[in-house]
Amino acid sequence: MKDEKYEKIPNWKSDFPIERKEATHVSRREFAKYLGLLSGALAIGNGGIVIKSLYFPAEELKGEHYVCNQSDVPVGEMFQFSIEGSEIIPYILIHLEENEWRAYEQKCTHLACAVRYRADLDKIECPCHKGYFNPRTGDVLQGPPPRPLPQLEVVLKENQVFVKAKEPNKIV
Amino acid sequence: MSDYRRSQNEAHPNKTNTLMTGIILLLILFVSIQIWFLFGALNNALRENLAFAITTFVGSFILALASFWVLRYLPDPIRSEKGKAPERKDL
Ligand code: FES
Repeated sequence: MKDEKYEKIPNWKSDFPIERKEATHVSRREFAKYLGLLSGALAIGNGGIVIKSLYFPAEELKGEHYVCNQSDVPVGEMFQFSIEGSEIIPYILIHLEENEWRAYEQKCTHLACAVRYRADLDKIECPCHKGYFNPRTGDVLQGPPPRPLPQLEVVLKENQVFVKAKEPNKIV
Repeated sequence: MSDYRRSQNEAHPNKTNTLMTGIILLLILFVSIQIWFLFGALNNALRENLAFAITTFVGSFILALASFWVLRYLPDPIRSEKGKAPERKDL
């Protein structure tokens, strides 16, 4: 009787008596549980963003920073500078027209490439993925960048150019 | 011994299958929406849009609760009865 059974079932099968139906069933259970776990992790991640923006807001630039003299940047040119805070942030200063100045962060909001002002197009261009920004407002005109460029306020004093943090009421 | 559960399972062998598939699809739907929320929050709220961050967090949290709750309805694993030699029909 026993020998008959061994003939029918090979050794490897009788050593691991796991039914296929049972095995697949259990793994799908586990898959569903992992999905639940992932769901919880995503909720926690989202909570992390709330905590970050509530308790660790991005530091505002304090005071006015000297950039350069007005005569250094002719109309239609841009000037690169950086401000050292908790980290060094590169900015660009653009002389759009007579007495029209803008200052933006140089990091593209898409993947942080360095943007530059193209006077011939009258746009700020990101060369990496052809993103374009409006040089007057910093808004995205086309391309992949998801957010407008962060802007600084330009203060002109005599012949000198200063920048300071933009008034929050201008942020829409 | 035969009981209600067992005879039900024998009469409708696909029922737990359908239930499992439904639950997994539901979970995938929840998780996709949560990924969408998180993506939006990262793009939007890491700057100064706190309202967006809070809204997506509440949504994501509710979805997480829903996915935990739906796990309760996972069908029990099928176990071969103890003391009985496992059946070999399907092998
Ligand atoms: S990094 Fe600027 S468009 Fe991609």
